Amino acid sequence: MSRARIENEVLAWMEESPWKADPARFERLALALFRFQFAHCEPYARFCRSLERTPAKVTRIEEIPAVPTGAFKEFDLRSFDPVTTIKTFRTSGTSSDRRGRLHLDTLRLYETSLLASLGMTLLDDPPDREPILRFLAPPPEEVPDSSLTHMFATLLGRRGGPESGFDLRAGALDLDGIADAIANARRVDRPIVLLGTSFAFVHLLDATAETEGDVWRLPPDSRVMETGGFKGRSREIPPDALRTELAGRFGIPETSIVNQYGMTELGSQFYDSTWIDPSGPRRKLVPPWTRIRVIDPATGEDAPAGEVGLIVVHDLANTGSVAAIETADLGRSLRDADGEAIGFEILGRFEGAEARGCSIATDVMLAASQDGDPR
Amino acid sequence: MTRLEIRWPDESAERIRVARGRLERAGETLRSRSFEDRLAIVARVVADWTAVDSPWRRELAEVLGECSGFHPDTVRKSLDAALLAWRSEDLTACARRELSGLLASPGQRLAPFRWTAILAGGLIPMPTLLSGLLPLILGSPVLMRPTTEDPVTASLLKRSLAARDEALANAFESVSFPAHDPALDELLAAPCVVATGSDETIRSISARLGPDQRFVAHGHRFSIVVLGGGIDRGTGGLEALAEAIALDVARWDQTGCLSPVLVHLVDIEPGLAEACAREIAAGLERLSSSMPRGEVPIDVLASQRTEAREAQMRAAGDGTRCFVGPDHCVVLEADAQPRPAPLHRFLRLVPVESLNELERSLRPYGRHLSNVAHAGLSESQEVELERRLVPFGANRFTRPGRLQTPPIDWPHDGMPLLTPLAGWLQRDPWGSC
Repeated sequence: MSRARIENEVLAWMEESPWKADPARFERLALALFRFQFAHCEPYARFCRSLERTPAKVTRIEEIPAVPTGAFKEFDLRSFDPVTTIKTFRTSGTSSDRRGRLHLDTLRLYETSLLASLGMTLLDDPPDREPILRFLAPPPEEVPDSSLTHMFATLLGRRGGPESGFDLRAGALDLDGIADAIANARRVDRPIVLLGTSFAFVHLLDATAETEGDVWRLPPDSRVMETGGFKGRSREIPPDALRTELAGRFGIPETSIVNQYGMTELGSQFYDSTWIDPSGPRRKLVPPWTRIRVIDPATGEDAPAGEVGLIVVHDLANTGSVAAIETADLGRSLRDADGEAIGFEILGRFEGAEARGCSIATDVMLAASQDGDPR
Repeated sequence: MTRLEIRWPDESAERIRVARGRLERAGETLRSRSFEDRLAIVARVVADWTAVDSPWRRELAEVLGECSGFHPDTVRKSLDAALLAWRSEDLTACARRELSGLLASPGQRLAPFRWTAILAGGLIPMPTLLSGLLPLILGSPVLMRPTTEDPVTASLLKRSLAARDEALANAFESVSFPAHDPALDELLAAPCVVATGSDETIRSISARLGPDQRFVAHGHRFSIVVLGGGIDRGTGGLEALAEAIALDVARWDQTGCLSPVLVHLVDIEPGLAEACAREIAAGLERLSSSMPRGEVPIDVLASQRTEAREAQMRAAGDGTRCFVGPDHCVVLEADAQPRPAPLHRFLRLVPVESLNELERSLRPYGRHLSNVAHAGLSESQEVELERRLVPFGANRFTRPGRLQTPPIDWPHDGMPLLTPLAGWLQRDPWGSC
C-alpha cells in the first residue's frame, strides 16, 4: 500500500465522528505503514533488522518495533526525501544537537489530527457558540520550531475568532490582556478556553494570588487545557493540586480542566476525558487512529491490564517518520466494568521512596544542566 | 472500662527531646573519659564488626537481606568485602594523625559538641556505622535518624557498643520518624549535624541551619573506571580485569557512590574496547547467580529499558555495542556524549582519545565525582589523571575491584575523618597586659 493511500485512509478516519475503535482496520493500516517506513527510513530499518523484526516476520502490531523517543535526538527519522522537508519541530533544550526532531513533509495529518482530537474532547461547541481561545504560549514567530505553538496557531486559524490570540510574548505573560479577554467573554456571555503549558499556568496563579474580586472568574462553559511539565521553569505542583488551584482561581469545575498528553515526536495528542465525560474516571482518551500499549519494562511484553508499565504509542498520523514510539513515561490502561478499554493514565514520578544507596544517576545530573518544556 | 486513646501529634519531636536529655547527661560521662580511652573502645567495636566471624556483621546482613530490596547474597558479600577492608588500627592511626598535634598543643583543646545529629541516607550501612562512631571518639554523643527502610543498622551499632562499653552505648541513640515529620526541626537543633542525601536534601537541610551550627554533608556521588592502552590483553588478564569491574558494579547493585557508572577507555582500539565490554558483561552474567540483583523499582526498570533500546538503535547504525542480560546491561558507546545511567547494573563504556577528552566529557556532571579506579595507564598518565580529576572532587584513586572496599580512613568526599566533626577551644597564655 502506498503512503498516499495510507494517508487518505487515515485522514478519512480522522474525519469520522463519533470515534469508533476498529482493531482490524487499525492493524491493517499500522502494518502497511510499518512496511512503508521500513522501506524508506534507513535508521529505523537497521533497528528493525537488528531486532530481527522485518516486514516478512511482523504480522501483529505488538511485533512492530517501537523506537524510543530518545532516538529522535540521535537520528533524523524521515521516511521521505530530506529535500521535501517543510517543517521541523524540535523538543526543548539548550543544546541544539541534543534536541529531538520531528521532520515533516506534510502538515495535513498533523493538523487534521489535532483539530479532530480537540473537537472531540474539548472544543465540542456548536458553531454559533464558538469559545474565545487564549493561548498561554509564545506565538509562532518567537518559537517557529515548537510543535505546541504550531498546534495553537493552527487552532487559532481554524477555530479562533478576533478575540482569540497569544498571551505570552518575549517570555512574559500578558496578564492584563488575559484579564481583558475574560472580562470581554463575560460581557458577551461566551465561554473562554485558556490553553497553555503547565508552568505558564503556575506563573499566572502565582502572579494573581493577591488579586481580589472576580477578575479571573471565567464565564459558564469555560475551560482550561494545560500540558507539559515544569522542568524548572516554575514551582512544581502535582497534577491534582494544579487542577484544584486552577479551578479555584477561575471559578470552574475541575472537570473543565483538561490535561493534554503529547510530545514533539507524535503527530497526535491525548486529552483528559472529563470535559465530555465529567462523571467518569479521569483518563486520557485514545483517538481511533492511535493505539496505546502498556508494556512491562522488564520484558517488553504487553503488561497485564491495569498494571503499570511503559507507554508505547502507535500513531498513524506519523506517516513521515516512525509510527511506533516507545515513550519513557509510565502509565496504565483503564477498563470499564465490562473489561472494555476506556483510555489510559500517565503516572507521575514515584515519590516517597528513599534512594537505596548514595549514588546519583547521571540523568539526575544531566537534568540539572537542561531545561525547557517537552515541546 | 473505656480506653482513652490520645493522638500525640508531637510524638517524634518529644522522643527526640527526651533522647537529647539523656544524651547530654551521657555526654558528660563520655567526656570524662580521655580521648585515647574513647578511641580505644571505638577501635575495639570496629574490630568486632570487621572480625572474620563477626556476629554483628552476620546479623546485619541477614536483616538487610530480608528488608532492603537487595538480594541477601549480594548484601552479605558486599558487606563482607567492605568491612573486611576496614582495619581498626587504621582508624586509630588516622585519629592520632589528625588530632594528636592539636591535642598536644598547649593552647588548644578539644571542645566536643554537646551532641551530634546524624541523618543517615540510603541502605548501604558502612557510612551509617562510621558516622555513628566518629563523634563518640571526639566526646560528642550521637542522635541518629536512620532511613525509614533501614530498621537495623543503628540498633545493632548500639548493641555492639553496649557489648564493649556501657558509657559509649549510652551516648548513642537513634530515633526513626518519617521524612517530612516536623520532628526534624528538633534534630536539626544539634550544634553539629551530619547528613547524607541527594543535593536537594542537603540544600534543604542546610537552609534550616544557623551559622552557629556545624554542618557536614555527604551528597550523592558516582565513581568511574578508567582503562588505558596498557591493560593486560591476554585472555586471562582481560577476564580478570573485567571480573573486577563487574564486581564493583554488582556490589550494592551499583547504587553506592563508590559504584562505577562509566568506564572510560582511553585511546583503546575498537576491537579491544568491544572485548572489554563483552568480558564485563560476561562477568556480570556470572555474578548474576552468586550475587543476584535485587528488586528494581519500576521507574528504574523503565529507565533501563529506554536507555537500552536507544543504545540498541545506535548499535544498528554506528560503533555502539549493547550487551543486555537478564539483570544487567553493558553499553559500549561510539562517542563520549553524556547520557543517563540508570544504575542497578547498567554500565556504559565510553571511548575517549585522551585524558583531556575524558576531562571534557565529565564536565557536565564531574562535580559529583567520587572515586576513580584505573588500570593500564602509564605512570605519567596516572599523574595526569589525578591532576585532571581531583579538581572535580575525585578523592580516591584505586584499582578495579577495589572501588567498593575503601579503607576505613578514606577521606570521604575529600574530608578528613574526624576534624570536621570536632570543636576546638583556644586558651591564650596569661601574661601581662
